[in-house]
Amino acid sequence: MFRKVLVANRGEIAVRIVRGLHELRIPALAVYSDADRDALHVRMAEEAAYIGAAPSTESYLRIDRIIEAAHRHGADAVHPGYGFLSENAEFAAACEEEGLVFIGPSAQSIKRLGSKTAARQLAKAAGVPVVPGTEDATREAEEARRIAAELGYPVLLKAAAGGGGKGMRRVDSEDELESAIRDASSEAERAFGSGEVYIEKLIVDPRHIEIQLIGDRHGNLVHLGERECSIQRRHQKVIEECPSPLSATRPELRSAMGEAAVAVAREAGYFNAGTAEFIVDRDGRFYFLEMNTRLQVEHGVTELVTGVDLLHLQVLVAAGGTLPLRQTEIQWRGAAIECRVCAEDPEAGFLPTGGRVAQLSEPGGPGVRVDSGLYAGFEVPFEYDPMLSKMMVWAGDRATAIARCRRALEEYAITGVKTNLGFLRHIMDDPEFIAGRLHTGFIPGFLERRPREAPCPELEDMAALIAAAHVRARNTNGNGAGAQRQGSVSRWLANGRAGVLR
Amino acid sequence: MNWRVVVGDREIPIDLAKLPDMREVEPGVYSVLQDGRSFLFRVAPVNGAVLVSVAGRDYKVVASDPRAGGRHGRHTLGEGRQNIGAPMPGKVIRVLVAEGDAVQHGQGLAVVEAMKMQNEVRAPRDGRVVAVKAKAGDAVTAGAVLLTIE
Repeated sequence: MFRKVLVANRGEIAVRIVRGLHELRIPALAVYSDADRDALHVRMAEEAAYIGAAPSTESYLRIDRIIEAAHRHGADAVHPGYGFLSENAEFAAACEEEGLVFIGPSAQSIKRLGSKTAARQLAKAAGVPVVPGTEDATREAEEARRIAAELGYPVLLKAAAGGGGKGMRRVDSEDELESAIRDASSEAERAFGSGEVYIEKLIVDPRHIEIQLIGDRHGNLVHLGERECSIQRRHQKVIEECPSPLSATRPELRSAMGEAAVAVAREAGYFNAGTAEFIVDRDGRFYFLEMNTRLQVEHGVTELVTGVDLLHLQVLVAAGGTLPLRQTEIQWRGAAIECRVCAEDPEAGFLPTGGRVAQLSEPGGPGVRVDSGLYAGFEVPFEYDPMLSKMMVWAGDRATAIARCRRALEEYAITGVKTNLGFLRHIMDDPEFIAGRLHTGFIPGFLERRPREAPCPELEDMAALIAAAHVRARNTNGNGAGAQRQGSVSRWLANGRAGVLR
Repeated sequence: MNWRVVVGDREIPIDLAKLPDMREVEPGVYSVLQDGRSFLFRVAPVNGAVLVSVAGRDYKVVASDPRAGGRHGRHTLGEGRQNIGAPMPGKVIRVLVAEGDAVQHGQGLAVVEAMKMQNEVRAPRDGRVVAVKAKAGDAVTAGAVLLTIE
């Protein structure tokens, strides 16, 4: 087993990795930037190394500094978490060259699966369905018309070099096609320096379902079933579930998609944890999209339902161990739901917020897991992702899991920083969500249909009273100078903060 | 004595002589028992007001003490000491005043840059600078105190 593992990440995932390492009795080495000196992962790890300025290009993305820190502290393995360098083949290769074990797949697998078109070709070679479309860029209008007619409208134009929705256009009929190609191409040219677009069949309102995989270096590879990740906003997942509600009506999908995912991974010589992403159309047909060559944000719901600790397995197989479980031994029990708690304002177009956490009260009780980087007094850095924590629940069935999730969200209190907790709670009351009718267009529809909260004058009156009593107490308690400082903002602000810091 | 308290756009007269059974169980966290019902209120400072959270609802409340002689109605918070916060996360480019300086309403106090846009932070009223907390080059979060005027 490893002597010491460097955790090349921050926030909740760094905390989760440190916890897993401690369960395996392996000391953890945290790394931190200027913005994260006070972060939770730094406190929890046995050792910590400073790696640079707050912008991630100066710290969490600096391969040289991370490797140097590992050597200086005598670490012999690196866990990259998700984001940052986790899917960077160059980083994985650099670790290997420097005698550090990269806890993840080989640099070669990352490279092969990193390009969407290469991954698509791998899938085809493995006999796994992909969204019908062209592999090569289409430039001639005549050719585009022929391809689109063959695929059947609506079709989707995608920038070959693209990502994040740029250079993407939905085309519903032939008369829109030519101008849409022109627009998509010029947008892609501006965004990526390449105007190449290709055409794909548009799957209307698909579900986004993914399969968790794990394999060892000896060719053993299993899947741990699916996760439903259809509730997204601008390609960012918001709520994930295991199992997918679709499994109730189409139980055959899990093994069919699982086997497809394993086939793609085998084709790529894959080991360690990975996730195959699929979209599923209204008729239950699934299409491979891409492979994520890392531990996913939402891995926890799979852990809750299968009882498998993915982080433990990652470490074990990275150290050369044999996967301790066979496909037939994996079982799924009950239902788990994850909510991503973010520093954002749902009432202001989901703009990232920030600030200092004034009070924090995390939910507890039966079936609740919180993976979080928060503490009262924590200043949310504005340099990084706005996700603060992941709240997961497990229950014997989906309906109970929803009720439990709602209850836990009610218990969850974060003040001082605006979050999406209320928005998440409202989703738990949504009839479409409860019925499990999920698709990637869920959130825009939900925003239209969600009921407006009725005003509650009684609570408003009480809030006014409490606020006045609070301000008065803060004004009169402050250093005996209260009498001269009536109406002073700084006094109760200072007191409030002193109170938080205890 | 009546306090002038504004919740949203609604002004609510408050008599602090009549308080319910309320306990501050943690800093800024109040347990209230009223007519046999139990409520939990959380109070946190937010830009010159307080945010009161209860039962999943948030209320921004400006509460002013009548003894402070609030002549201007709802914005009596403009008196006494006032912390001037950064309008958004970013970097302090310049601080334009020093401790002890007299400032006038609308006068520039500091320049904060975010996303390559420079924003001047101005004095909300006449007063005097009693503390300067920020210096050029500091990274600040939204609401971080730059300076205090009196």
